Amino acid sequence: MTGAVAARPGAARRALTATLAAVVPYLVSVVAAFVVAGIVIAALGHNPFVAFRSVVTTSFATSFGVVETFTKWVPLTLLALAFAIPLGAGRFNIGGEGQLILGATGAAAVGITLSDLPMPVLLPLVLIAGILGGGLWAGIAAWLMSRFRINEILSTVLLNFVSFQVLDYVASEVWPDVGAGFPATVKVADAAMLPTVGRPAMHIGVFITAGVVLVGALLMRRSVPGFELRAVGINERAARVHGIRTSRVAVGAVVVGGMAAGLSGAIEVSGVHGNLLEGIQSNYLLLGIIIGLIARGSVVLVPFVAFGISILEIGASAMQRSAQVPAELVLIVEGLILLFLLLSDVLAARLRRRRPSGGPAAPAGSPVPADAAPVGLGPAGSSGTSGATATPVTAGGHP
Amino acid sequence: MSEVTNFLALVVTAMVPYIFAAQGTMLSGRAGIFNVSQEGMLTIGAAVGFLVSLKVGSNGVGLLAAGAVGALFGLVLAAVTTYLRLDQFVVGLALFFLALGAASLLYRVVIGVTMSQPLIPLLSKWRIPLLADIPVLGPVLFDQDPMVYLALVGSAALWWFLFRTDAGMRLRSVGENPKAADSLGIDVAATRIWAGVAGSALMAIAGAYLPMVYTGTYTDGMAAGRGWLAIALTFFGGWRPQFIVAGAAFFAGMEVLALRAQVAGIGIPHQFVAMLPFVATLLVMVFAFRWARVPAYLGRNYDRESRLIG
Repeated sequence: MTGAVAARPGAARRALTATLAAVVPYLVSVVAAFVVAGIVIAALGHNPFVAFRSVVTTSFATSFGVVETFTKWVPLTLLALAFAIPLGAGRFNIGGEGQLILGATGAAAVGITLSDLPMPVLLPLVLIAGILGGGLWAGIAAWLMSRFRINEILSTVLLNFVSFQVLDYVASEVWPDVGAGFPATVKVADAAMLPTVGRPAMHIGVFITAGVVLVGALLMRRSVPGFELRAVGINERAARVHGIRTSRVAVGAVVVGGMAAGLSGAIEVSGVHGNLLEGIQSNYLLLGIIIGLIARGSVVLVPFVAFGISILEIGASAMQRSAQVPAELVLIVEGLILLFLLLSDVLAARLRRRRPSGGPAAPAGSPVPADAAPVGLGPAGSSGTSGATATPVTAGGHP
Repeated sequence: MSEVTNFLALVVTAMVPYIFAAQGTMLSGRAGIFNVSQEGMLTIGAAVGFLVSLKVGSNGVGLLAAGAVGALFGLVLAAVTTYLRLDQFVVGLALFFLALGAASLLYRVVIGVTMSQPLIPLLSKWRIPLLADIPVLGPVLFDQDPMVYLALVGSAALWWFLFRTDAGMRLRSVGENPKAADSLGIDVAATRIWAGVAGSALMAIAGAYLPMVYTGTYTDGMAAGRGWLAIALTFFGGWRPQFIVAGAAFFAGMEVLALRAQVAGIGIPHQFVAMLPFVATLLVMVFAFRWARVPAYLGRNYDRESRLIG
């Protein structure tokens, strides 16, 4: 969609305008969110500038900060993909947490039980087990969605709560590490651990994730399934009329999303912790959704937004130490960035319509007229009003 | 009290948050606003309800304050989806994050990190004379805290309002066909706004009830999925107040059963018992989604100038 519009004659200047139009809302909303946070910090009696300095600089001040930021970037990117890929087809996967846990469980199970295998065999098996675990868990929700029209928001969320108990059972009954003092499994075999590079050590899951992002972006833009997925997201009915099996595409999108989350679970086990433990999912689900939404569901944008958010997250805990500002504030900042981004889209659409030149109302890069899709999820093949709103209605039993 | 009476009384108490949250979902949804921030509303309601009750010394004020904060979130959701036509799911999720962050931050700022958590008194029971003396039914239904009565009476009132008054019918028409409602002179925007505000207020009150009846304090994540279950319950109850109350009995029954079985130890690992409410919900949704008559405009935004039909 994007390409078709931008490739018209005289596109160079329009492309520049489009780039500006895409970047400015991000800058405005980040600045606005920080201003609000600064006011809150000042009201709490702290110095906002000291706080912000530690937020922004911690990731780059030391080599530890850099490694820590990249290590955090891995699960954030993968969980954001787990949300963004189904969103492309107009489906909301809120179950990344459960899919991560099942992926981690699968990886730990292989890493513990098959510990005799040599590394070239065991390590790929561990990662594959993670991908399968996440894919299967998402597959339950996808099956309920296509077979019984159960709203996938609900089924994926409910499966998260089931997964917590699965984790607890595996970690305290099946392969418990009795000395840990909290639910945790014994360590996986050394041969199941991801190799590291550099010093301080960074696991190669970072490169695996980068590869996944590259392949994912290529498939979304340049493959038939990717095209079908975007078509379903933009206009499900039109896609069906043109012979795309929309239900199958939606199921596929949710399952692939689950696989991404499962892979991140496997990387957490074999790259970071070395075992499966309670709380391994951290708050990656929330952050993944925020990142996916801030990136407007674009697989290309996700890694960059994820990097920004991991800087914020790493900085927030430093901020708590240096400026005594509670780290919980960072979740509010992230929520505000998203809200302001949505609002600035509306503002941009209004301004564009008021411009006297009388050109087409649709901005370059937006597949639908601005007034028809004021949802802020327009470009880059994500769900507009059609996909998102069709979800609960079709899920509600209307054929 | 016998074992059965005791169990049923606990179920009735556990029903209250489900009833408030699901009726709130239903009320907003009947006007076309699908609020997916329940879990956040419950959490912020719990934090505000607890903190205000602690500082003011009155649980009633705490409940009202929680309702007011919930209403504020509801106003944001209803306003930006109605006037700016932003996506309801996206805004709902954003408010969910904001509420989780705000709840956690509020507690940190007001209470800080303490060795022992401060406690508020739990809601006292209002024993209704005569009725409470009926065997079994008496202690289960008429020897409860006032919120139980409010939930049941309020649900009945909600049913009467929606299905027996003009204002209720107008509200439903906005959720079914806003274009038709608009052409008849019904103020679609105003209806959506106040339904969204009232719905979120009910959800936050549901959250404020949690510290007042279970723990006496606020902890992060104390909503424990009840918000999401409330959405499922709304579908399960077919978007009708009377069936939502009946469904709440099922959800609350599952919750109490799972807790009791974990305490008693019944031979199977307690983790599997704890899964029960969620797995059971997934199973009943198979039937609920076939049965539920969902408001036609649920989750969609009305644009008066749109040339599309419907």
